[in-house]
Amino acid sequence: MSTVVNRENAVNILTVFKNQLRVCLLSVKYNIMREMVNKVTFVTNILFMMLNNATILVQWVILFHLREEVGGYTMKEIMLLWGMTAASYGLSHVLFARVFSLPELIISGKLDAYLVQPKNVLLSVMTSATNVSAIGDFLYGLVVIGIFCTGVSGLYLLPLFVLTGTAIFVAYALLLGSLSFWFVRMDMLSGQMMMGMISFATYPDGIFKGVSRFLLYFIIPVGMAVYHPVHMMISFDKRLLLTVLVYTFLLGTAAVTAFYRGLRRYSSSSLMEARL
Amino acid sequence: MRKYAVIYRSVFMENLQYAANIAMGFAGYFVFIYIFIRLWDYIYQTPEELIAGYTKEQMIWYVMMTEMIWFASNSSSVARNVTADIRGGNIAYLMNKPYHYTLYILTKYTGEWSIRLPMYAGLAVVIGMLMVGPVPRFHIIRLPVMILCIILGITINAVFKLCISLFSFWIEDATPFQWLYDKLILVVGTIFPIEIFPEFLQPFFKLTPIYTVCYGPAKLIVDFDTGKCVEILSAQILYLAAGCGLMFLVYRKGVKKLYVNGG
Amino acid sequence: MQAIRVENLSKTFQVKRKEKGMKGSIQAIFHPQMEEVKAVDGVSFTVEEGEILAFIGPNGAGKSTTIKMLTGILYPDGGRVEVLGIDPTKKRKQLAYNIGTVFGQKEQLWTHLTPYDNFLFFSAIYDIPDKEAKERIGELAERFELGAFINTPVRNLSLGQRIRCEIVASLIHKPRVLFLDEPTIGLDPVVKEMIRSLIRQMNEELHTTIFLTSHDVGDIEKLCRRIIIVNAGKIVLDDSMEHLRNKDLADTPLENIIMKIYKSEERGAVL
Repeated sequence: MSTVVNRENAVNILTVFKNQLRVCLLSVKYNIMREMVNKVTFVTNILFMMLNNATILVQWVILFHLREEVGGYTMKEIMLLWGMTAASYGLSHVLFARVFSLPELIISGKLDAYLVQPKNVLLSVMTSATNVSAIGDFLYGLVVIGIFCTGVSGLYLLPLFVLTGTAIFVAYALLLGSLSFWFVRMDMLSGQMMMGMISFATYPDGIFKGVSRFLLYFIIPVGMAVYHPVHMMISFDKRLLLTVLVYTFLLGTAAVTAFYRGLRRYSSSSLMEARL
Repeated sequence: MRKYAVIYRSVFMENLQYAANIAMGFAGYFVFIYIFIRLWDYIYQTPEELIAGYTKEQMIWYVMMTEMIWFASNSSSVARNVTADIRGGNIAYLMNKPYHYTLYILTKYTGEWSIRLPMYAGLAVVIGMLMVGPVPRFHIIRLPVMILCIILGITINAVFKLCISLFSFWIEDATPFQWLYDKLILVVGTIFPIEIFPEFLQPFFKLTPIYTVCYGPAKLIVDFDTGKCVEILSAQILYLAAGCGLMFLVYRKGVKKLYVNGG
Repeated sequence: MQAIRVENLSKTFQVKRKEKGMKGSIQAIFHPQMEEVKAVDGVSFTVEEGEILAFIGPNGAGKSTTIKMLTGILYPDGGRVEVLGIDPTKKRKQLAYNIGTVFGQKEQLWTHLTPYDNFLFFSAIYDIPDKEAKERIGELAERFELGAFINTPVRNLSLGQRIRCEIVASLIHKPRVLFLDEPTIGLDPVVKEMIRSLIRQMNEELHTTIFLTSHDVGDIEKLCRRIIIVNAGKIVLDDSMEHLRNKDLADTPLENIIMKIYKSEERGAVL
């Protein structure tokens, strides 16, 4: 009689990590390969999304025609803001698209498939889909920054802030999405909150005052994901950088905790119509 | 006609169950309007200033009305679902039913917005009264014609979106064209009234659906004028007729292609 | 050794109810009516290592819920489960390395990839080193005769070829218990027969324990030595096929026997 395989204890943490990373990278690669099966659709999706984003330039040309600055921003800063948002949004949706449709997976019981795999459920779920048009968003962000923002002194910080921005977007979506473990009707609200976050992230923070300003920095984390980074790229501030990093870490921890709490509920839940 | 009434009724009833879900969408509407209130607050330097002929209150109400139409008519029935039906081959079963596929979709869509529109209208009025103040020179007696204009706008929008979706008979994915159409409506007609654009562009905008879908109804609400009203309503009827003609034509050609080439 | 051990297993679901008509629609918004459904109700059984067990019942009898509890997807409300001596609720990942699952109605494979690439992906999931994985794939491809289409994208395969690949994918990591949920659904008789012989072969050569659900009487007759019938969350029959045949009902076709059992509400009313 052969004994039960217990690979998890047999290999060390580093190998576990390496194997996990390998599976995640394979997932992302296969996702993108799937979308590339039809090359014309793949390319049009990306190009049209870039074009789609570019139409918003019209809005800002008009607004800057009316006033020289809006909320303390000129065209250069607005484009830096837009570029940061588009790049972070794009990267998060290319790599971790499924986080943004997590409520749907939870409500329809589609997490089951990941629970029978001996891998980290959260990572498997997150990397199980991609969004092709988000490649267009990501590229658009870089192009816009390349065209309008070459004179910005802190541009070398861009890669770091795109990463923290991506992490904040993903963590926020995970936190909101995980609420669906408890409340069935949360899917619409969390979708709206994400949309709202993107809406705020494409307007200068200078036009917001008082309570809304507080909300934007702490509750809807646009401030941490986009506004602070933009300010820091214009004039660097060590304290702000630390704030953003600590915030990213805390939000991430909260989101992962919420997901696993919810997952335990998912497995023991008694309110799963779709799963009968 | 009776069968469409039955379809309408059942979709309406089904969507009534999701009224709470629709209310969740209020958050998105509120965020958008809130941003615009702040934005125009910042841009108007004095309360009396006119931009493109609009006072601040009119400008904000304009956005509230166009966004109300946008949110109320936002549905995947005429866009994503049609594309999916065609690409997924489901169309083969739907087109042999004893109704016209496009009218079936439009009926379904009507059942959806008949719940969404009143809800968003209520929200818009509450936000507007609390955060902006009443619409200048508004008379209740003109309300019916305004509502008619909004309904026509929503329907024209659906017909055009449906036409774009029907292109899926020829191309793999019509969604990118939907984005561009949406963005055109959004950037040119929704967030700004067309008077804000350079004068030489304005006649051109009148030829696009923007004029009848969102600019027209919103303009009548914030700045009513009898001559304008007649002009907009006639443009809408013309557009609706032309749009439906195009829709039937594209559908017929698409189905023919399906019969010749298979699914 | 016992591969599966289930004691007094229970699971209750809450299901929403909606009254008919406009009034019901409105009522459902404000006061959703909840109703309890006992999906699995005090089920006990054991499966010996190397056994092929048919676990059948009408739609909604609690078959899928039971499989989900055995594989650690769902936690039971009451009772105990042990698969290969592991409690699925406590060591889900460890269990996952040792069991395989095939759901006839759900695809696990990436359809745009070739079976070969798919198998490599599953090998990565189960931490099988590349070299070992390639050997294993070669061996399975030969045994299941996948050679002709192992490099064709899955979306271009016939349903029968695809199901064969699904089964191979679930065998990459040499599971000791295999859960097959309606593996032959929608297949033509020839392919069905082939799948059955593969399952039998797997059981004989690899000594894999097989837990099978199916609505196909042929699957059950040709594969299983033992049959458990559940209805409304309860076991209504747990018997060997041989014993079932030797009863007075020997002449009645199995299909009729099963139908009678499905229809009877009370336990043991037929036999």
